[in-house]
Amino acid sequence: MKQLNKTITGLVSFVLIISGYNGFSQSAQKASVNIAINYFNANNSIPHLVVNAKTRVNGRFQPVGGIAVKLLLDKDSAGTTIGKVVTNEKGEAASFIPPSVKQEWASSKTHTFLAVFDGNNKFEATKADLTIAPARMLISTNDKSITATVLQLKDTSWVPVKGVDLKIGVRRLGGDLPVNETPTFTTDSTGQASADFKRDSIPGDSKGNIVLVAKVEDNDQFGNLSVEKTVPWGGKFKYVSTFDRRTLFGTRDKAPIWLIFMSGGVILAVWITLILLVRNIFAIKKIGREAR
Amino acid sequence: METENNSRRDFLLAGLAAAGLVAGCSPKKSPFEEAAAAEGAKPSGKTVKLLSVDGEVVEVDEAFLKPVPHMPPVSNEEARVGIPGKKFVMVIDLSRCKNLKKCQEACNHAHELNPGHNWIKVDPMQGAEHTAPYWEPTTCMHCDEPPCVKVCPVDATFKRQDGIVLIDSDRCIGCRFCMAACPYSTRVFNWGEPDIPAEIKSQPYSAETSIPQKKGTVGKCDFCADMTRMGMLPHCVSACPNGTFFFGDMNEDSVTNGAETFRFSELIRDKAGYRLMEDLGTKPSVYYLPPANRNFPFESGLENDKTQNS
Amino acid sequence: MENSIQGEQIIQDLLPRKFKTGGKVWIGVLTAICLVGAYAYYRQLRYGLIVTNMRDYVSWGIYISNFVFFVAISLVGSLITAVFRLLGVKWGTPLTRIAEMIAVGAIMFASIIIIVDMGSPERFYNLFLYGRIQSPIIWDVIVITTYFFISLLLLYYPLLPDIKILLRFKEKYSPRLYKFYRWLGAFWKGDHKQYLLSKKAINALCIAIIPVAFTIHTVTSWLFATTYRPGWDSTNFGAYFIAGAFLVGAGGVVVAMYIFRTWYRMDKYITPEHFDKMGRVLVLLSLLYLYFNINEFLTPFFKMKESEASYLNDLFTGSFAPMFWFAILTGIILPVIILLFKQGRRPLPMFIVGIMVVVGAWFKRYLIVTPTLLHPFMPMHDVPSAYRHYFPSWEEWAIAMASLAGTMLVITLLCRIFPIIPIQETIDHNHETVK
Repeated sequence: MKQLNKTITGLVSFVLIISGYNGFSQSAQKASVNIAINYFNANNSIPHLVVNAKTRVNGRFQPVGGIAVKLLLDKDSAGTTIGKVVTNEKGEAASFIPPSVKQEWASSKTHTFLAVFDGNNKFEATKADLTIAPARMLISTNDKSITATVLQLKDTSWVPVKGVDLKIGVRRLGGDLPVNETPTFTTDSTGQASADFKRDSIPGDSKGNIVLVAKVEDNDQFGNLSVEKTVPWGGKFKYVSTFDRRTLFGTRDKAPIWLIFMSGGVILAVWITLILLVRNIFAIKKIGREAR
Repeated sequence: METENNSRRDFLLAGLAAAGLVAGCSPKKSPFEEAAAAEGAKPSGKTVKLLSVDGEVVEVDEAFLKPVPHMPPVSNEEARVGIPGKKFVMVIDLSRCKNLKKCQEACNHAHELNPGHNWIKVDPMQGAEHTAPYWEPTTCMHCDEPPCVKVCPVDATFKRQDGIVLIDSDRCIGCRFCMAACPYSTRVFNWGEPDIPAEIKSQPYSAETSIPQKKGTVGKCDFCADMTRMGMLPHCVSACPNGTFFFGDMNEDSVTNGAETFRFSELIRDKAGYRLMEDLGTKPSVYYLPPANRNFPFESGLENDKTQNS
Repeated sequence: MENSIQGEQIIQDLLPRKFKTGGKVWIGVLTAICLVGAYAYYRQLRYGLIVTNMRDYVSWGIYISNFVFFVAISLVGSLITAVFRLLGVKWGTPLTRIAEMIAVGAIMFASIIIIVDMGSPERFYNLFLYGRIQSPIIWDVIVITTYFFISLLLLYYPLLPDIKILLRFKEKYSPRLYKFYRWLGAFWKGDHKQYLLSKKAINALCIAIIPVAFTIHTVTSWLFATTYRPGWDSTNFGAYFIAGAFLVGAGGVVVAMYIFRTWYRMDKYITPEHFDKMGRVLVLLSLLYLYFNINEFLTPFFKMKESEASYLNDLFTGSFAPMFWFAILTGIILPVIILLFKQGRRPLPMFIVGIMVVVGAWFKRYLIVTPTLLHPFMPMHDVPSAYRHYFPSWEEWAIAMASLAGTMLVITLLCRIFPIIPIQETIDHNHETVK
């Protein structure tokens, strides 16, 4: 009986070990990656793409860094490769459009960008695409009023686009300050949207120059577009530095004069006395030697 | 959050690309090129050919092509002086905080902080028995008359011209006088050897990133001075899903949380912004908007509090 | 003739003596405590201040309490030597050397314990390379150095005539000690000119040490009073600290007097009269300190400002109340009551009162540092729970005890080398009274 018990225990533990091992090998499954492409074009010049890679860990999206993504224009064939990018620690990678796809770019008025990730030992292969119609933006100003225009390439000419949401703001640190209370404007049939500038005396540079920005964000058709213009509508900003003042919280070479004099005076007075007293010892010593 | 990062990238590219284009076509200097140069990018002389939106091939200087300019870490002398012409300011909207602590998480991650060494703390506050409780995130106040800097015996902590108070961990002797002097209890001490990856630990210390933290020295919120130097927002600002934190330059009179941008003076005026412990005369750079018209009830933050402060 | 015989007797009584078994055991015990402390400090150097139980809120613990305690007790040198001398208090003469020895020992360990408290002691030199005159710590560094130096001079000058006497007994010392004495004072011939110079110097020192002594303790109090914290944000702090320091210093001298009197059988030189007079001084100082305590606590208690209320309640009735009332009772009130009676001013009761004063004072220093740090303006909320209270770790206790033991070791060694009671001055004094 005892023997049997032992055998059973042994068997059970063996099975447990095996199943445990199986469980372990199953947990090494590959995770899936979400890839998103964004299209940017600033000041109607060279467009660029930004690829974002994320994965879900415990229900939360985390950036995936260090994966290689191949970017293609419209289709996978000769002359359509935009480039191969590797995501950084924020899961981001960016690429411009190389001249090698010039022919393909000219062949159509809308384009589909393809992102292909071939998979690696941690993540499964995946793909993403984004369809964009290349567009341009114009910005013009007239007596504290700003007009932004959105144009799309149709056949061979740029034609205005109606019904595009855009923002008009003043360039500031980390974000653009809307020029008035209206958060977004929509273009009319002439492709234009106008805004009154109501940020009087907003600080500009030393000459009062500020940078106005009109931008289309995350548009399904056109992606991210922006255009900017410098105008002298701001307040003249005069920088007054208080950095070199002598204060209690200044650096050591910027201590208040009164403090330096007071402490210096006290230290000198005491230490001169002490040095004299030490010299006095030597005077006593000298007398002692002479008395010998 | 996304838009914030991207719009920033836009800006640089706008300037940089335009600069490159102009340089390629005509010798006239564009204001953008100046802007690009001010951001620290210098033309490398090497150009690359790229496709414009019109389908034209244009030549652009390589140095202007990085989506985010790679900034070499600034020297200790530069880090001590700060950026001229700036005066960084933060606004924390108490009506939007529900103790999610994403700010803290992002901050701890960005600065390689160990658990418990929170530079951002979120405290439940209640002035008196019958007043309303609310969640109050605190960072370093970056006071304009900082009591911690006053008492530092060795210039290890210092006030910069852009308003940021930083710590030089290569200088700090660990006397902790600054911790006693700070009425906001914002400073933390590295009592033991910080547990950080070896490759980060071996980096030279930078006062602007506050990395790596060192045993026997003081650490605290640095307003992400490295990020602001690049024109980006501090990590806590971008991390908050509720847009509680606003950051900006007082000299531009504007603050943003990435998604919304307000004129600083108007925001403070309209929402009756205030600073903590004004009576002490420390003149903080962090402003608070009172928890009126809240987005969340106070109780919604309690659950998170229990799990994190047990 | 009789005088000189008496003089010889005095010399024989007061010459430094070799340690007997008791002394050796005492030295051994102190050394052992110091070694344990050294090991604890080694651990602290190796692992960082994490071995202590100080954390972000209680960022200063018993090291700083001890520092304040040492600075306080060192003030006695200036009290007994300078104040008494300038006031013409003759009976204090035999106590001057003890007081100076305590002062030197305490100030040495005050500076050592402050280095122990530093998180990065290997960067101590930064204080000299990058010192900022705006920082009260730099003021403290300057004034402690100055005070140490003055104390050494004040120990040295009055020693010169005694060294001449010591040098007469070459056979009594090891060659090295004899050489040391020669190096210290072989040039002293007792010449009149020498005597005049020395007297002038001692007078100058006595005048100089008083403002420096006041400064050292005031600046130490400013380490706290220059912050905003409830309990430290007080204009009373300088005077409060000085009053407390004089009291604990005098208490320390009383304890030392009793120990030397019994151990070295110096009944003739340290008489009940000395105890009686020191008792009166202690009463005066206790009352003075009591006054400053009332001043320090009553006015904030009366107002009960929001920021100070929880701190004050914690002291008066909360978790610090037993220690607080113990320190006030044993350190101030009971000594006053006991010493008001003549019976209480006899040597043994005085000794006990002295110990009470010193122990009470040590806890008082603890109460000055820790409770305030546990009542910051912002709530102690978003931190690990260990940050919200403080009890020193064994390493902290070991190091703190080692610093106390070290001070006693220095004092013990000083009185092994030098006469505890100034010989020449006692002979002169005796001369005058006989005449």
